[in-house]
Order: sequence, then C-alpha cells, then structure tokens
Amino acid sequence: MASNTVKNPDARGAEAHGAVPVARLLLDNGALTALVVLVAAMSLLSTDFLTTQNLLNVGVQAAVTAILAFGVTFVIVAAGIDLSVGSVAALCATVLAWTATSHGLPVWLAVLLAVATGIACGAASGALIAFGKLPPFIATLAMLSIARGLSLVISQGSPIDLPDPVSSLGDTLGGWLPVPVLVMLVMGLLTAGVLNRTYVGRVMYAIGGNEEAARLSGIQVRRQKLVVYALSGAFAAVAGIVLASRLSSAQPQAAVGYELDAIAAVVIGGASLAGGVGKASGTLIGALILATLRNGLNLLEVSSFWQQVVIGAVIALAVLLDTARRRAGAGPAASNAASGAPGVGHRWWSGAPLRLGVAAVVVAAVVLGAVLRGSGSSGSDTKVGLSLSTLNNPFFVELKKGAQEEAEAAGVRLNVTDAQNDASQQANQVQNFTSQGVGSIIVNPVDSDAAGPAVKGANKSGIPVVAADRGVNNADVGTLVVSDNIAGGRLAAKELARQLDGRGTILVLQGTAGTSAARERGKGFADGLAAYPGITVVGKQPADFDRAKSLDVTTNLLQAHPDVTGVFAANDEMALGAAKALGSKAGTSVKVIGFDGTPDGLKAVQDGTLAATIAQQPRELGKLAVRNAIKLAKGDPTRRTVKVPVKVVAAGSR
Amino acid sequence: MEPRAEPDGPEVLRMESVRKTFPGVVALDSVNFDLRAGEVHVLLGENGAGKSTLIKMLSGAHRPDSGRIVVDGTPVRLKGAQDAERLGIATIYQEFNLVPELSVAENIFLGRPPRRFGLIDRRRMETDAARLCERVGVTVDPRARIRDLGIARRQMVEIAKALSLNARVLIMDEPTAVLTTDEVGRLFRIVRALREDGVAIVFITHHLEEIAAIGDRVTVLRDGRSVTQVPAGTDQDELVRLMVGRSIEQQYPREPVDAGEPLLSVAGLTRDGSFHDVGFEVRAGEVVGLAGLVGAGRTEVVRAVFGADPYDAGTVTVLGQPLPRHDVGAALAAGIGLVPEDRKAQGLLLDASVQENLGLVTLRRATRAGLVDRAGQREAAARIATRLAVRMAGLDQHVRTLSGGNQQKVVIGKWLLADSKVLILDEPTRGIDVGAKVEIYHLINELTASGHAVLMVSSDLPEVLGMSDRVLVMAHGRIAGELSAQEATQDAVMALAVKGDDVAKGTHMEDSGGQ
Repeated sequence: MASNTVKNPDARGAEAHGAVPVARLLLDNGALTALVVLVAAMSLLSTDFLTTQNLLNVGVQAAVTAILAFGVTFVIVAAGIDLSVGSVAALCATVLAWTATSHGLPVWLAVLLAVATGIACGAASGALIAFGKLPPFIATLAMLSIARGLSLVISQGSPIDLPDPVSSLGDTLGGWLPVPVLVMLVMGLLTAGVLNRTYVGRVMYAIGGNEEAARLSGIQVRRQKLVVYALSGAFAAVAGIVLASRLSSAQPQAAVGYELDAIAAVVIGGASLAGGVGKASGTLIGALILATLRNGLNLLEVSSFWQQVVIGAVIALAVLLDTARRRAGAGPAASNAASGAPGVGHRWWSGAPLRLGVAAVVVAAVVLGAVLRGSGSSGSDTKVGLSLSTLNNPFFVELKKGAQEEAEAAGVRLNVTDAQNDASQQANQVQNFTSQGVGSIIVNPVDSDAAGPAVKGANKSGIPVVAADRGVNNADVGTLVVSDNIAGGRLAAKELARQLDGRGTILVLQGTAGTSAARERGKGFADGLAAYPGITVVGKQPADFDRAKSLDVTTNLLQAHPDVTGVFAANDEMALGAAKALGSKAGTSVKVIGFDGTPDGLKAVQDGTLAATIAQQPRELGKLAVRNAIKLAKGDPTRRTVKVPVKVVAAGSR
Repeated sequence: MEPRAEPDGPEVLRMESVRKTFPGVVALDSVNFDLRAGEVHVLLGENGAGKSTLIKMLSGAHRPDSGRIVVDGTPVRLKGAQDAERLGIATIYQEFNLVPELSVAENIFLGRPPRRFGLIDRRRMETDAARLCERVGVTVDPRARIRDLGIARRQMVEIAKALSLNARVLIMDEPTAVLTTDEVGRLFRIVRALREDGVAIVFITHHLEEIAAIGDRVTVLRDGRSVTQVPAGTDQDELVRLMVGRSIEQQYPREPVDAGEPLLSVAGLTRDGSFHDVGFEVRAGEVVGLAGLVGAGRTEVVRAVFGADPYDAGTVTVLGQPLPRHDVGAALAAGIGLVPEDRKAQGLLLDASVQENLGLVTLRRATRAGLVDRAGQREAAARIATRLAVRMAGLDQHVRTLSGGNQQKVVIGKWLLADSKVLILDEPTRGIDVGAKVEIYHLINELTASGHAVLMVSSDLPEVLGMSDRVLVMAHGRIAGELSAQEATQDAVMALAVKGDDVAKGTHMEDSGGQ
C-alpha cells in the first residue's frame, strides 16, 4: 500500500536519528508492532502456528473481515459508520445463490446482481444519511435489519447451494494460494488506490477531516457521501460472495456481528472514528490481528469462553498502543515544526518504554490465554478436535461434558472449540484442526451444508471426521452420531395428543430456520400429528431455539390466540420461554412439550410446568462421538450411523 | 459613573512574570497582573495580544510555563476548572457554557444540584435560581429552557451561575460585544452592584468608551507582554497608542490601484431575519471593507454571496453572469473564493497536511478519469507555499501544528491556487500576530495590483480603515452607508454602525439571539 499523505509526523525525526528502517516502521505503526509481537508469541507457544499452511489459513480466515473492513474504512475515514455490512454481505450472497441456483441465471449475471444489490443497499443508507439527514448510526442500523430480513425472505430461511463456479472461489489457485487471500489482497490494493489516488478517496479525507471546510471548498458533500456508502456496500457484496464460496452455500444468517469485527479491524489499523484518518494497510493489519488471535488461540486450545475475553483485551490494547504512539508523537513534532529546525528537541523514542510496556501486556494476555488452555494433558499422543456449534445452550454444554468424560477415560487429548453459531468460524476451526494434524475431528455443524467444504478439506488431508447431532452434506463423514430427531418429533406429537385427549388448538415454536434439527423435529411432529385430526395448529413461528426469543414470540402469539391448549417447542429452551409467557397457565390449562431433556427442561417437567420433554441424551451423544472418533483415529472400523435413542419424559414417568 | 480613585480593596489575585508558549507562538511573556477586591480591572489589547490566554490561565484551562499565580497571598497551581471554582474564580466566556436544552435552574446548578434523599430537590433548585436571577436583575422563569432565551438573558444566567458559586473573582470576556446599548447599560448596573459587594472583576472589552464608564484600572497587553498599567480615566488616544505600540499608518500598508470593471455585483439581497435589501459592487483592483457591529449581518451576507447559505431574494452577479443561489460550486467556478470567519471550524482540515489543504479547492480540477494528479498537486502546493512564505517544516506537516497566521495563509493559498478573481475575506486577521497580519496585507496589495478584487469583513476597525478603498457599513442587516477611504474615520463608521439603534430600541438583538 502506497504511503499516505496523512503521514505520521514523527517519521522525520526518526530519520534524523538514523534509525533502522524496520524498527522505525514498527515504532511508527502501533498495529504492525502488535501483529509482529502476536505472531512471535504464537510461534513460540505453538509449533503448529508458523507453517506455510497455517499462515495461509490465517489469511483465508481474515479475508471476509478484511474485505468488509476495507469498505468500512472508506466510511470511517469520511467520519461515518456502517453497521450494515454484515447483513448486506449475507443478502448479496443470498441474492447470488438464489438467482443462480433457484432461477438458473448465468453465474456472471448473478454475481453482477449480487454486487448491484450491495451497491443499492449502500446507496440507500447513503441517501438516508446525506439527504435524509439521519445519523449514520441509525441509517445503517436500519439497513442492518432490512438487509438481514430480506435475505431471510428471499431464502425462506434456509441456506441455498452455490453454483459450482462460485464455490471454486473458495478453493486454491495453483494448489496452494487460496482464492479468498488473493481477493483480499486485490481488494486491499484497490482500497489503497481509491483512498490515495482518486478524487472520491481524497474527498473522504476532506469530509472526515472537516465537513464544513470541505463544503466551503466546493466539494459536493452530500453526493460524495452517497458514493462512500455505496462503495462500502459493494465491498460488502464481495465479502458476502467470498464468505458463501468458502461454505459452498449462501446462509441467510451468515456474518451476524461481522460489522463489529470490521469496525474493530479498521480502528486497530489506526483509523479514527472521528474521521479524516485511516488507511488500507492499517485495516489489513487490523483484520490479520483478529484472525491471528482466533487461529492461535484455537491452536493453543484455549477455552472458547476465555478466547472472547482475550480477543476483547487485545482489541483494547492494540488501539491503546496506537493512541499512545500518537500522543508521544504529537507534542514534540509540533514544537519541532514550529521552531522550524528539524531534529532539535525531537524525541521519537520518548514513547518507547510505554510501547514496550503495552507490548508486554499483549504478550502477557497471550500467555495467560495459554495457561487457560483446555485440560488436555495426558500421556497419549492421540488428539481429537471437537468443534461445537455453540456453548450458549445447555444441550451442547452437556454434550461437551460427555465428550470430555469419555476423552479423559480413554486418555485422549480433546480440543474443544465453540463456533458461536457462525458457520464460517466453524470452518476456520475445522481448518485449524486439520492443519494441526489431529487424529480425528468431531464436528457438531452449525449448518450441514456449510460444514461441507471444511470437512472436505479434512478428508483431503486424510483426517477422519465424526458428525455429531447434525449431519454434514457434500463431504465424507466416518460416523454420524445423532439423536433420532424425526422419531422424537413423532413421539412428541403422540404424547401431546395423549395429554390433550386428541382435541385442542396448539402453537408450534420452530427452531432456527435452516438447521436440520429444526427441520427434522418439525417434520416428525407434523407427521405424528396427522393421526390426530382433532388437534389444529393455530400458530407457527420460529424462535431460534432461544428462550428469550420464545418468550416474546409466545407472548405475541397468545395475543392472537389466547385460548390455545397446547404448545410444541422444538427444544427445551423454547419450551421454557413459552412456559414463562403462559405463566400460571403452563402445566394447567396449557400443555407445553419440549425437546432435548436438558437439566432445566427435566426439572420443569418434574415441577409440572412442562407437560413433557423428548429427552435426548446429550452426554451419551458426546461420549459416543468421542468413542467413534478415537476408533477412526486408530483406523478401527465403525458404523456409518450411530443413533442415540430418545425417550418421552412426562410428569411422573421417571 | 466617573472612575473612582485608585482601588483600595485587599489584593485577591496576582500573576508574576507569567510565560506561556504554544507551538509556534509565545502567547504570553513576563506578564504581570494584579486584582483587588471591589475593582473592575480592564484587560486591553489587540486580538492575539494574549488576553484569552491570560484568562484561560486564571480559569485553570492553561497552566503557565513559568512564573506564578498568587491567590490571597498563596501561590497556587490551577490544574482545571474545579481548582479555579474552589478558589472562587468564575469565568464567563464569549461563547457561553450553557446547555441549551436544559432549564435556567438546571444550568445554574449544573453538576451540583441541591439534593434531598439522594434525589434532585427541584423546588429548592428553582427557588434558589429565582433568587439569583433576581439579584442580577433579570426576570426569567427558572424553568425556561436556555435555547428559548436571547443572548442578553443568557449572559445574565451565566452571571447568576457565577454568583451561585460564591465567586470572588469574576472574569468577563467581551461581555458587551453582543449586547445592545440598553443591555450594556443594564449589565453595567449589575457589574457595579457586584463591585460594591466586593467582587473583583476582570473585564475585557474592545470598546474604549466603556473603559471609562465601568473600569477602575487598565492593564494593557501587547504581543503577549503586559506593557503597562494605567487608570481607567486615561485618554482614549493614549490607550490606543499603548495597545498598538506604533502609529497606525505603518501598520496598514495599503497601496490603492485604479479600480477597473465591476467583478462582483450584489443587488437586493434579502434573507428574512438576517439581512435586507443589500446591494453593492466590488471592482477589479479594489479592496472593499464591510464594517459593522457583531450581529449586523456581515458574515451572513458574504456567506450568501458565496452560496454557502440560501437567500430569499436578490441577485449575485459575477462579471455579468448571474449566480444560482445556494450553490458553492457555481460561485467557485465563477471565480469567487471565501476565506471563512472561523478558519479552524470552517476553513481547514486540521489533521491533514499543508499540501492536502492547499489542494482542496483544485482537487476536482486535478482529477482525470477519477484519478487525482498527486504529483501536480504537490508541485502546485509547493509553489504557493513558497509564494506565501508559509512557515512550515514541510508540505506534509499537519495544519493543526501551524501558527494562526500560517494557517490563515494556507486557507488563502487554496483560493489563490484556484485563481479566484474575487476573494471574500471574513475576519482575515483574527487571532493572528502582528507580523503575519502585515504579510497578509501585503498579499492583499499584490492581489489587487494584479486585477483581483477583495471584499473584507472585519471587526477590527483600524484594519478596515487602514486597508479598504471603500467602506460599507452594515447595521441591523442593512447597508447603513458607504464611505470612501478619505471619509472613513472611526467616528463616521461608528455613527453608521449604530444607526437605527434608537428606532429598534434594543429589541432587535434579543430577537435574533433567540433564533
């Protein structure tokens, strides 16, 4: 990236002192220092980190955030903010897949439409800001919601496969250079070019620096703002396409919260939220810092909960480092400039102890992270990786416990990661396991389609994979360990009908759209209910397997249907939310049936607020997954599918 | 009304050999100042002489590099506004420290409302506020929001706030600049009452006639030094001589040239509530001064001419071509340039380089197929920076770190690069040291000699008189009269500037203040 005119003023002083160029570069750029320190620390802590393959992985894992962040750089330099980029990326990917796969448009046209969608979204935000005088925060917050909603509407809540030519974007070039990395670098160069060389780029600095001065200098501020946000939308579209190509499918729920990562990357890279300052190279470094951290902490087997703490701390420290640098630079540079005698009284090193101090804290954070790593030390050298879809749900926490118990009993090292319901983070984690060379990998997919490419990567490296709780599509899985969801759905229908004596009106709370568990449980329940014509479903809404959402959704549905007699929720969390909404009616005039048999759910059944739950055995599931993974790692034969039985737990039945 | 003899109250505050530097400027050097209880001590000095820095030091906003501040005989270090507050020093700035959306009472007790059981005791707060307002002689509902008040009443609220802090030292920065004659009279009555109560008052004003009316002693600041201390009864001419330190002829090196064709013609320009039926002409080679009191509508008119703000009626014509209203781009293309009143807020990208700032207006012109010719921009910036003798470490230096005079040269420079035929300078030398001022005057001479025209708005009357070929005087949004360079004297301009004050009965300012 070419040098920028918004240069650090203390560069001159360093020259005068004849500092080594590399050292000067580091001292002048807090973010770069942080990245170098981070890479050095990770290399020392993990032998798997500093390999070509893993560094390329880091590049791939940084790509989507980086591309989004390049677009956001424009906006932030122009003193705005764009919260919509994650949603817009998801919308553009959905548009691409929908037009190409569902409507058979040629791929080039579909890609064009996707990018046009991104530009349109950006321009819409821009128009609201420039002409509607909405604060950027509000306008793009609105767009965040609109774009996410539209992508769900278009996809009807389910992931859509990508046509092959686009999926190959997620592959490698010449067998080693991943296309996402290439796209990231090209977009980075493009960003640098736009910022430094073009009219619109220079105008961004002017508007961000002083909007009124820019206006009084003849710049058409409003029109230019529109362009800035449209550019951000276009970059979001590219990011969306790269994201979808990595997962081979367009996920309507992809890239949730990515706007915050993008903003963090831009700010870590030295941009000011007040506007007027920022550059492409900084943003790239910011995105790489985030990706390096996630990758390194995975490799170090740091507990996924602590990972978030460490990442937050490093974001704060990286920006602190940069702020400290600027402060240290500003004072002397100013007096120097004023005295007109370069070099006199110029102390570029004045902030060095501070910098070293902060760098030390970064290292400390990493070391702390390393100390907190998962309990996996044992004599065995068999290593198993487990990528869980989420730990935000007791079911998966139980599954994890079962897995850990089994691993401990067998004397195997188990590295557990948490994808936080983000398919692309899961792909990163599986990729990291693969490059670490674990004996076998257990995937509990966020999404069956999206897990495909990453599992395929493991297949290619000859690492066997176990799928737990949900299947993986388009890739080889040694063993699938699942609860029988369809059978469970049928059981739920039967039990509810029994308790209602075959008559009544009921609500159905569906799981997260697009997940196989939601589909299968819903299907099994519908199948089972067909035998009872006396029962009508009067309301059916997704509540995303989430207790709080279910509370809201149920409360709303009850407004329309106050006299329902039964509720089927596709998991216990939603059932408990529904029971909360029903209040004293739960367990008396309204029968609520859940699914999973979590500790909370089972307790509620005992207490009588839930009529029944279809108990899965998550611990058992976790144990069986690890048992099979160990077998596969050793090359022992396993069954293709292991079904973990489910059973009805109703009040008094235990 | 007549100035009293040497004040005999006990000394409450003293500054000894205080020095303060900012990047590029020695703001204050060996300044001595003392203040006694029960006196009104006037600080007199040109813009940029160091008055603001001095009072900011007393209010804790700046700390001296050397020298000391003594309060009640004890040296003190004022590290912030709280320290000053604790010592009973209150400051009323020109731009008030009031929160427009809060009520009068809430503003007076901002940050320290009376409490009862941990909750704000609204009733007590309002009765206390009412009592304080009564003491400063203003009738205002304590529950009224500040935004609904006119400027004069806002000022009274500021004074009430200072009293609520039990201020023993009250610093007032140009309190009369925004007031009508009636309001000034009312303010003086309050100031005298406070003086009787033993409050020590530091009073800054540019109106020499006010000094004798309200002051006891005068400290004159010039170029950051305290030149002398004289009684308030000192002759006005003598005060000017002390303040400027040289005769005015040397300071304003205007070299008139023969006026050519009209470059800018304005006719019937009107915006309701701001200015009315304004018409004038500026010819090639001319410097036309636009004088008037603060709030007379001068800045509003030139901004409307430049297209920065809209107007309701009238025409603006450049070289015979009418300009569309509210269109900066068109004005710029026609050859008008505006150096705005507040260079930091309106003229500069403070955290961008000198080059970036100089190339801002010509950015579009230097663009081919979306790409900016950066090399050409740099070359042009280097050329103009040399011509204007901008003192900087290099073109990459951030503008924020330049001195005020050099910053102003950069703002002017970007319009010179754009080859503007008509340059509108709004307060071109505000807050600039004397040396840089003269450089800017020479630049104005250079421009008019090469056939450019300059329209200059300035509140610095000697500057207007010294540099203009013609002077237009505005009062209450209208052109009150026009004076040739020969006719234009301080008295003649002031006579026109206050024209209509009697008719308006001082209500006009209150109206516009409430907008």
